[in-house]
Amino acid sequence: MNLPINRRALLGGLFAAATVPALAACSSGITSLEGEGSAGSGGGSSKGGITIGTANFTENQVLGYLYAAVLDAAGVKVNVRPNLGTREILIPALKGGDIDLLPEYQGALLHYLDTKSTATEEGEMQNALTVALPSGLQVLPYGMAEDSDAFVVTRETARKYGLTSLADLKKQNGRLVIGAAPEVKKREVGVVGLKDVYGVEFKEFKSLDSSGPLVKGALRKGDVDVANLFTTDTDIQANDWVVLSDPKNLIPGQHVVPLIADRKADSTVRRALARLGNTLTTAQLTELNRQVDKDKKDPEDVADAYAKEHGLVKQSG
Amino acid sequence: MTIDWSWIGDHTDDLTTLTLSHLQAALTAVFLGVLISLPLAVIAHRIRVLRGLLLGLSNVLFTIPSIAIFVLLLPVSGLTRTTTVIGLTVYTLVVLLRNTVEGLDSVPVKVKEAAKAMGTRPLRTLLTVEFPLALPVIMAGVRIATVMSISLVSVATYIGDGGLGQLFTDGFQRNFPTPVIVGVVLTLLLAVVADAALVALQYVLTPWRRRRA
Amino acid sequence: MYELFKNLGAWLVGSEQWTGPDGIAHRLAEHLQYSLLATLIAAAIGLPLGLLIGHTGKGAFLAINLASFGRALPTVGLVVLVFLAGGLSMLPVYVALVALAVPAIVTNTYAGMTAVDPDVKDAARGQGMRGHQVLLQVELPLALPLIMTGLRLALIQVVATATIAAYVSFGGLGRYVFDGLAQRDLVQVLGGAVLVAVVAVVLDLALSGLQRFLFRHRTA
Repeated sequence: MNLPINRRALLGGLFAAATVPALAACSSGITSLEGEGSAGSGGGSSKGGITIGTANFTENQVLGYLYAAVLDAAGVKVNVRPNLGTREILIPALKGGDIDLLPEYQGALLHYLDTKSTATEEGEMQNALTVALPSGLQVLPYGMAEDSDAFVVTRETARKYGLTSLADLKKQNGRLVIGAAPEVKKREVGVVGLKDVYGVEFKEFKSLDSSGPLVKGALRKGDVDVANLFTTDTDIQANDWVVLSDPKNLIPGQHVVPLIADRKADSTVRRALARLGNTLTTAQLTELNRQVDKDKKDPEDVADAYAKEHGLVKQSG
Repeated sequence: MTIDWSWIGDHTDDLTTLTLSHLQAALTAVFLGVLISLPLAVIAHRIRVLRGLLLGLSNVLFTIPSIAIFVLLLPVSGLTRTTTVIGLTVYTLVVLLRNTVEGLDSVPVKVKEAAKAMGTRPLRTLLTVEFPLALPVIMAGVRIATVMSISLVSVATYIGDGGLGQLFTDGFQRNFPTPVIVGVVLTLLLAVVADAALVALQYVLTPWRRRRA
Repeated sequence: MYELFKNLGAWLVGSEQWTGPDGIAHRLAEHLQYSLLATLIAAAIGLPLGLLIGHTGKGAFLAINLASFGRALPTVGLVVLVFLAGGLSMLPVYVALVALAVPAIVTNTYAGMTAVDPDVKDAARGQGMRGHQVLLQVELPLALPLIMTGLRLALIQVVATATIAAYVSFGGLGRYVFDGLAQRDLVQVLGGAVLVAVVAVVLDLALSGLQRFLFRHRTA
């Protein structure tokens, strides 16, 4: 019975194996358990830094980095988490403390919180939002820039079925296929509202993406007849697609509005984001989206350049 | 499909950060997987009734799509690294548990009996005789689990994490192949390097095997 | 948690849930189609490759390393890459699934072939059998258990991973997982996951049944 086991070598090796990942784990940032309480007194404080979350489409990331640029210039420590998912994922994460701030859109957010809301005018929606938001969250003043949902068809489809408005879709009930991000199937500003408000019923709903390559590719190829895109998407014009008009105001105004946790909403943050909101126009936002999507620039660089150009941050170097 | 080399040059910092974050998620998961599977394997090895149950359970966990595990963890651990690590750990278990049990099974009964005859206590036998002899098979499992984890981390991009996986969703949304190609290549490199490191670790851990080679 | 599982029960048995283009029956059929076709293609590539390497003993090092390389390929990245190169079709999904399945099949087939006792092969040759006869009549039957293990492993992985088809707009049970993620409808996600797991387990049992049927004369 002879087992030449070098115990010291074995233990040393096991120790080494154990420490490498353990050291790495120290920096893992388990954030889900913290950040719940701190709201406390009135205004909140951005002293501990702000984590900005963004949804899974280009524009939301551009907006997130624009927020980051102006907040950073105001001396707030910021951290951007891009591409986290849909509103349905982001708002619970905001409540849970994984993120603190989120670029939102007035009407879409309102419908998410209160499907029965009838508010359509900007000021009215802002008030309705304040009421509808769960405790701990608030919206800051909305900005000038607007990005609506649009239901879009190709020029050819528009001609073939005589489509100019959402109301015309009813004539083709049960014949058309709609393509949109999966969440649009269950949203008021989506399949649900189109049925309730316009009596439209589609042959099929195809789960695609948010004004991304899938939905635009499917519209181009004719796999879907109607596509849900964003009005700030330059591909609508580039492809000569037709945006169906909305005579019954199903689609609410969609001004960009910061949604923030009370615990972080102090005067520094409010001031910085308000200034950005009063500067950024829809046309400018559309152009920034184009630079990211078409010129393949980083949303972060595009946002920083914009902030500098418009005097939102101090010019350096 | 052309590669935009200047993009790579402009993003070395980001790529380093993503690569390290990717590696950290994978290694933490394997480390936790080993911690969990070692005691479970001992139980499965000793108690016949529980053996089928434990191995069967880990097999079933393996059939659940990883993306679903990440999503189902959201109410528990939110949009965090924790969610990614827990999800990955679940996947390492099937390989680690199976290999560790097989490794322990492969220790000759005679050796264990000899240790017992010499008056060695069971725990001591386990730590100084059984584990070292089972180590090659266990390490084979650790290697597979590590490579698998490294390839799986990118799925967590659907919940906003995923290390190099973020390059995939980014390239997808913008119809931009460069980040995707870079992400695939870096993932493969990570796997190769990690695997080589484990081979080296095994060499260090099993000095008695070198003579045979 | 209890609530989630109670709702899952309702989701699974709801009759409207089973019919129509987004119904479980249709999604299940799609998922089976993707998984079985991908595994068949992978077997058509991996089996001959593994047999050849095992029989000749040539290229083993390369094949085994390529296989472990293949295991490291990130499925999401591969799907996106093929999508960007070739546009929207099922091709990206099949490429990724086949790439996932081939390594398991090749390595297990090779392992099965090398496990065949060299004396048995020599004896077969001694009886005047030719190379291909030794391969088909001696080595293959003896290697079959490990080959089947490889096929089962590949199939399980493919079934679980076929979920990815939904990411690039196609169907299958992954539709419930990705739609449920976007809508934060955890019941739907859990439903999809449970169905995928059931499909994987059932297919695995079917293959192991087939395996037992093939070897019934040997165990007796």
